[in-house]
Amino acid sequence: MKLIVLGLNHRSAPVEVRERLAFPKAELGEATCRLLGAAPLSEAAIISTCNRVELYGLAAEPDKASAGMRRYLHDYHQLADSVDPYLYEFRGNDCITHLFEVVSGLDSMVLGETEILGQVKEAYAAAQQAGATGPALNRLFQKSFAAAKHIRTHTGITQGATSVANVAVELAEHIFRDLRASTVMVIGTGAMSEATAKALRSRGAGTILVCGRDRERAAELARQLGGQPIHYDDWPVEFARVDIVISATTAPHPILTPEKLEPLMRARHHRPLFLIDIGVPRDIEPSCGVMENVFLYNMDNLQQIAQENLAAREREIAVCRGMIAERVATLARWFEQHFP
Amino acid sequence: MSDRCCLWVAVILYAAASALTARRLQRGLAAGTLHHINVALMVAGFLMHTLAMLWRGTHLGRCPLTNLFEVQIFLAWSAVFFYLLIGSSYRVSFLGAFTAPLVLVMLLTALLAPVDVAAPTPKKHSAWVETHAAIGILACGALALACVVGVMYLVQERQLKSGRPGRLMRVLPAVDQLDVIGFRLLLVGFALLTVGMIGGAISQRLVEPWPWSKTAWAALVWCLYGVLVAGRLSDRWRGRKAACGAIAVFLFTLVSFWGACWLAR
Repeated sequence: MKLIVLGLNHRSAPVEVRERLAFPKAELGEATCRLLGAAPLSEAAIISTCNRVELYGLAAEPDKASAGMRRYLHDYHQLADSVDPYLYEFRGNDCITHLFEVVSGLDSMVLGETEILGQVKEAYAAAQQAGATGPALNRLFQKSFAAAKHIRTHTGITQGATSVANVAVELAEHIFRDLRASTVMVIGTGAMSEATAKALRSRGAGTILVCGRDRERAAELARQLGGQPIHYDDWPVEFARVDIVISATTAPHPILTPEKLEPLMRARHHRPLFLIDIGVPRDIEPSCGVMENVFLYNMDNLQQIAQENLAAREREIAVCRGMIAERVATLARWFEQHFP
Repeated sequence: MSDRCCLWVAVILYAAASALTARRLQRGLAAGTLHHINVALMVAGFLMHTLAMLWRGTHLGRCPLTNLFEVQIFLAWSAVFFYLLIGSSYRVSFLGAFTAPLVLVMLLTALLAPVDVAAPTPKKHSAWVETHAAIGILACGALALACVVGVMYLVQERQLKSGRPGRLMRVLPAVDQLDVIGFRLLLVGFALLTVGMIGGAISQRLVEPWPWSKTAWAALVWCLYGVLVAGRLSDRWRGRKAACGAIAVFLFTLVSFWGACWLAR
């Protein structure tokens, strides 16, 4: 008996192919049962996310199982042409290693992301509820979850945000303990300021004020964020209650200078202020960052931190692989004993 | 087991907590089982520390606050007491990492320096005097922790201001939380200091007079902390200024106290 995985991911296939092979979440259980009927497998599970589709199984005859799984994919999605060039396949220990790397985020588009663990857990639960898993896949998946948890706790693979918006959120969380109590002001309504404001909102930021020269655009963004639109000329008036400023205007000169900021800080009782300047040319004079209780970051700072965090995560890959290899060897011995 | 034995065990436990937190800081591990081990080591150290003070107090039949050794042991105990109170109440990660080394230095200098000498004329102080002294040292414990929180604030602020924060930023609490905790500790310490001062004034009038130099020193320390509290209440001194103030005044208090004790000998 051998474990087998057949699948495709963001590296092996473009999004046009991946979207054609994706399984809707609600259909996962039924699709797994159909896989058991279509291929000579004694156990099966299907993982389907936006970046990967993978079919796992336990087969007495791996070659026949592989052919059956490929046929199943083709038939289930009623494909006109072959997707074989986009597929990868691993068997035995390689299959175990692959799943461990997937759930640990080592195989993700964003290295070390943690969302994949929840998605694999959901896929496993669907297969289990459909009665498609048995002792082999149950052990495989449970051990993979334990490995992911261990790696997450004992290495830095998940640490440090790797996108500009999330770096800004991470910084905000180290300036303000409770983002729910903070007020965010978005000045200028570009794509990056929108992404950063959305990331802050998703982490619980309390009030969001949006102001831009284009009033309709500002009102629309405020509606999307569940915030309040304010008139562009009113931003200094509202400043007293603001904790985080995302500035992304196209103004040719800085809109915030130490001379302007000093009285505003007094009005704010010198509470900490997080300034995120993503305007080009810059909206906030760099010397504002020297002022007490003011924390200023521009686009270059944020991008550099994101790159450094990614590099730090990449340095952890070898440590993670070492941990995975140990666990795979232990699990492989168990499979040899129970599924010779 | 004597009081010194108990203290050495406490030193080992605090040292283990310091080493563990240093390791966690190096690896950038904020949570997990290691945190619980860390707190457990601090609690165990605190229990041995308490046992040592109880042993000494019981054997001497008085509050153990008559020489520099005893004062320093009590001060370190107060700092750990407030750490356990604040750290668990506010879930301040890595407060122990900064508290344990300070406590360790206090205990080691007390144990190794020749300061555990009996008073030339051992006498039993009145309850007024002992309470006044104990409250004063307890106040210093809170103010020592305010100093520790101030150091944490400066480290975290430096990380955030650098534009390239490292691992340390991720494991330290948010600057606004450190600012608030530092201020609350300052308030608690100042309130206790005020009670201690009032107790001291009453005991001086009713029980036994103190040398004017000691009274002037205590009044100066009280005034310095009063300025810090007033500055923070008026929002002028928050963040960096408040942190620097808490560190500077505590260090002045500690150094001047040590200096005065050495000169008195």
